[in-house]
Amino acid sequence: MGNASGLRESLRPGDDGLFRMKTMEEDKFELVRAAIDAAALVRHVRAGQDGAIVTFDGFVRNESHGRETSYLEYEAYESMALGKMKEIAAQIHEKFAIHRVVIVHRLGRLEIGETSVFIAVSAPHRGAAFDACRFAIDTLKRTVPIWKKEYFADGAIWADGELPPTPPSAKSAS
Amino acid sequence: MATVVPSLRVKVLFFGRLRELTGLAEETGELPEGATLAQVFERYAERYPKLAGFRNSMVVSRNQEFAAWDTRVSAGDEIAFLPPVSGG
Repeated sequence: MGNASGLRESLRPGDDGLFRMKTMEEDKFELVRAAIDAAALVRHVRAGQDGAIVTFDGFVRNESHGRETSYLEYEAYESMALGKMKEIAAQIHEKFAIHRVVIVHRLGRLEIGETSVFIAVSAPHRGAAFDACRFAIDTLKRTVPIWKKEYFADGAIWADGELPPTPPSAKSAS
Repeated sequence: MATVVPSLRVKVLFFGRLRELTGLAEETGELPEGATLAQVFERYAERYPKLAGFRNSMVVSRNQEFAAWDTRVSAGDEIAFLPPVSGG
């Protein structure tokens, strides 16, 4: 993915000649324990220079592998999770011509239908926003240290997850 | 006379099913100087034998970055044992 219309070549400097789109000051990363206000997050990324916003709303499904889910509980290695969310933002600013990104994940107990993760990406053009949003959620699911436990009528299990990629050897690292 | 092995103090964290298995979320541990992350894990696997079976279905982080098992720890490091991630 990523070879479509959203590549960096379409970046243009602003009126003052600066490539403002690569700055991250207006991005937002949060781990929250209350309901996620998606509309407020969309407003946060929306700006006059943009023409498109793509959002991803991940919410709690009512079943898992054919079993009826009662509710979910999420936990995180919070400081590291926020760091990894910022890394994702840095990566998508580098790869795609986007403007702002927000990534918010909820922790604690979530009921069926409640939003667990919300991502919004704004960009001058839709291609970059679509590509960056897809990259962000796919990468979050592989690299951000968050875990979910699924509760059923008759028990609970930790959801199958993905092993994050790790460096092969420490030999060359400090 | 016994040789004194210098030791270093690190913070160790467990998450998800690994936290449940050990009943331990966080503790400060003393390790011999030069210990690798794999050796840190082995110490805990001795204390909590059920951990050993998870060695190939987990990753380790050092100071909030995923790390190779042969990374050597330094005093003051924050080490975390992390099951496969399942956010989203």
